[in-house]
Amino acid sequence: MFLEINGIKKSFGEGDSLVEVLKGIDLSVEKGEFCVLLGPSGSGKSTLLNIIGGIDRADAGSITINGEKTEDMNEKRLTAYRRKHLGYIFQMYNLIPNLTVQENIEVGAYLSDHPLDVEELIETLELTKHRRKLPNQLSGGQQQRCAIGRAIVKNPDILLCDEPTGALDYNTSKEILKLIETVNRKYGNTVIMVTHNDAIKNMADRVVKLRDGQIRKNYINEEKIKAEDLDW
Amino acid sequence: MRNPLSKRLPREIKGDLGKYLVIFFLMILSIGFISGFLVADNSMLKAYQDGFSKYNIENGHFVTEHKMNHAQKKAIEKEGVTLYEQFYAEKETDFGATIRIYADRTQVNTVCLMDGTLPLAEDEIAVDRMFADNHELQVGDQLTAGGRSYRITGLVALPDYSCLFEKNSDSMFDAVLFGVGIVSEQGLKSFDSKELYQCYAWKYETEPSTEAEEKKAAEELMKAINKEVALKDFVPRYENQAICFTGEDMGSDRAMVAILLYMVIAILAFVFAITTANTIEKEANVIGTLRASGYTRGELVRHYMAMPCIITVISALIGNVLGYTVMKKICAAMYYHSYSLPTYETVWNADAFLSTTVVPVILMLLINFLILHRQMKLSPLQFLRRDLSRKKNKRAIYLSPLIKFFSRFRIRVIFQNMANYVMMLIGIQFAYVLLLFGLVMQPIMEHYQEQITDSMLAKYQYLLNMPLSEMDEDHKLRSMLAMLQFEQKVETKNKDAEKFSAYTLRTTDEAYMLEDILFYGIEHRSSYLPLELSEEDVYVSSAYADKYGLKAGDQITLKEKYEDKSYTFTVTGIYPYDAGLNVFMTREHLNEVFDLGEGMFGGYFCNSEITDIEEEYISTVIDLDALTKVSRQLELSMGQMMWLMCAFAVIIFLILVYLLSKIIIEKNAQSISMTKILGYSRGEIARLYILPTSVVVILCMLICIPITNWEIGIIWRIMIQTMMTGWLPYWTPDGVYAQMFLTGFFCYLIVAVLELRRIKKVPMDMALKNVE
Repeated sequence: MFLEINGIKKSFGEGDSLVEVLKGIDLSVEKGEFCVLLGPSGSGKSTLLNIIGGIDRADAGSITINGEKTEDMNEKRLTAYRRKHLGYIFQMYNLIPNLTVQENIEVGAYLSDHPLDVEELIETLELTKHRRKLPNQLSGGQQQRCAIGRAIVKNPDILLCDEPTGALDYNTSKEILKLIETVNRKYGNTVIMVTHNDAIKNMADRVVKLRDGQIRKNYINEEKIKAEDLDW
Repeated sequence: MRNPLSKRLPREIKGDLGKYLVIFFLMILSIGFISGFLVADNSMLKAYQDGFSKYNIENGHFVTEHKMNHAQKKAIEKEGVTLYEQFYAEKETDFGATIRIYADRTQVNTVCLMDGTLPLAEDEIAVDRMFADNHELQVGDQLTAGGRSYRITGLVALPDYSCLFEKNSDSMFDAVLFGVGIVSEQGLKSFDSKELYQCYAWKYETEPSTEAEEKKAAEELMKAINKEVALKDFVPRYENQAICFTGEDMGSDRAMVAILLYMVIAILAFVFAITTANTIEKEANVIGTLRASGYTRGELVRHYMAMPCIITVISALIGNVLGYTVMKKICAAMYYHSYSLPTYETVWNADAFLSTTVVPVILMLLINFLILHRQMKLSPLQFLRRDLSRKKNKRAIYLSPLIKFFSRFRIRVIFQNMANYVMMLIGIQFAYVLLLFGLVMQPIMEHYQEQITDSMLAKYQYLLNMPLSEMDEDHKLRSMLAMLQFEQKVETKNKDAEKFSAYTLRTTDEAYMLEDILFYGIEHRSSYLPLELSEEDVYVSSAYADKYGLKAGDQITLKEKYEDKSYTFTVTGIYPYDAGLNVFMTREHLNEVFDLGEGMFGGYFCNSEITDIEEEYISTVIDLDALTKVSRQLELSMGQMMWLMCAFAVIIFLILVYLLSKIIIEKNAQSISMTKILGYSRGEIARLYILPTSVVVILCMLICIPITNWEIGIIWRIMIQTMMTGWLPYWTPDGVYAQMFLTGFFCYLIVAVLELRRIKKVPMDMALKNVE
């Protein structure tokens, strides 16, 4: 298995206000798989994504990516691990305001020894016309495409997406999902996407449903459809 | 691949041009001025030091009562020295100054000709360049001194008068009322021999290698001279203020300006750090994303440190270029305004480069690194969640609902910007130190002159030239006759003249500059000093007590100027007299302590001018001019510098308050935008966001004014104690406090207007665009 998650537990607060967010999560994801984590607010899906991404620590359990265990890593190694293996996309695009579209993508490319071709990627992202624009000159969808470009330009093993369409309208959301699908297909990255849009499960290879910090359902989607056919 | 984040830097400068321009301006100004100062100081110091060999400066000089004969000279030269005649005449010019006239020197203390030619004819003179400047004398002008008229052929610098001290015991040099000049050999010969001072310079055959050796050699030489002739004055080079003061002063100035620069840079580094911290807060999500994507903490720290460092490096480079060109000339002119220095050549100064480039960059790096490193310790998740407080469960400080809403709001703004306000306090404090120093100098001088005028012992004090050479234990009859003759010659018909005994001893405390203390032995029921002294009483002047921290019951130990003999006295009381460092006792007591003989006296107090005593019997006249020499010269040589300091202080005040206020408005731009949407008027928004800063600035000013006064009082005390003889008490008139407050207030008013404009420019859609 490419990604192995075993017995992950996480709680916040202490004493009476202690909240157990993850109550022992076990999950395996294959390389190149498109995995969707679904669940209502507070179900623990973003926390799980952050632990996989090495930006949060689990209280118990382990995560192994391509044979490397993250819980043994110190801060420095975790940074190197993120640098080498992970790409992040957030609901907010978090682009650097005074860098152009192309330069924002180069910020990601800088982290890799073998980045993807920036020119080609900009074309794939359909941002050629906007490459010299600053983020505040772009629409929300264009900004999110730029953020995706920044995440995948280093060709990460895993692309972690935290509600990437959360701030976008229907059409733009579909555009973004199509793009992520294209990227997944073209570059073969494993995609783990957190969403509470139930419709998105239809385009995933694997669907994991979380509630109250536990996996309620974990299945392979046999009836996977293309992003452009999604409807909600 | 080059880090693409670096592409932000030029855009950041463009985007916040105003801020970076003022920082650039302040840094370039500071670095340029300090660099110019250090380069000028170093170049001139080198010229001054090179002058010792170039102009063959004496190892010392002494003045005798009478011209020495060949045998006497031979006997003294056996001590391993070569003697050179440096006879001079002292004449009063038609504009009331004293000029000391030497013949051209060819062997020792040779002359540096700065303009024109050296005198050849009997009626020609070359005068000291600074003395000429102070009296607007030029080559070709006529100068009348001692009733003779001279044509000025040149302007010179005498290496043994780089600082125009008339007497070595003077507290301060006086380039207004004292100058030196050179006439031809023939010109000097034209003076009557009685008009000439028998001055001899000496050079050691083998230069002593250490200061201790030099002191020892000088003491030995003095003993040898004393065996041959009666000394009127003996000044080894290391004690000669006219030669050494310049070098020492230049050295001490250097340390002072370097500290000044480091303080400016440290303050700017903190301003930068606060600005960057604000940017980090604004860009928390971006930083979180970058950290989550694998950017290391070090990479981001380096990125945010780049701007302050680049700006410092560029400012340092431009500042140094300015320093070596424009500023150097300004600073050299300042030195030429105070000292009579020879010409100089600009020399590359590694120390200046270190102080103005390397140290500022390191300081900037260090301060920013420490603050950024601490901030960047937060986890990527904390950045993403904008949870930037390092304290867990940080609670809002409780404010009573009884406090009006607007006041509570303003208090919250103050809490939110505490770091900025602390920096503002430090900045205002620093600016005020410079400002007060600049403002207070003239009042101190004026106050000193007023005090002296009010507390003068007498309008004139005449110190007499006692015929010490005739006082000989082995020839009592000759001594008695000489004394009788002296007493006759120094009798005056002035009815208000009152005799006093006088004696001079030297201080022994090495922590201060060694200086002469004049002892007065006064008459019982003196009409000039309302002091009822009993036989053993020893009073010290308030200036002496103030400088050395003396009080009744303390002991003072002083020594003979040219001997090892020392005396210890117990202070009985303090007499309010600020014009000099003096000791007062009864005439009988003084004569007895110093074994001067009963009935002996050394001078007169007098409120009218004494005209019936021959000039040769008067050694010194202490009048208002003589007593205000220190203040006059300090005012002259430091006046320009004081204005510069005031201007610099205002610039620093303006820039720091502007930068920090700007950060506060920028930090709250989102909220300001929201208050606009909610319908608050511009006036109300100003009351919410500008008034807190106004209150803090005014509070800072009110806190800083007394603190600054206290600090300057201490600095002044240390400066006067360690850097000069005599005493100039620190004094601040109330008007200066008002000036400080008003300067700060008007500076802030300018900033407040700019901030109002900034608030006006905050767009309403800012709050709408930001979805977080």
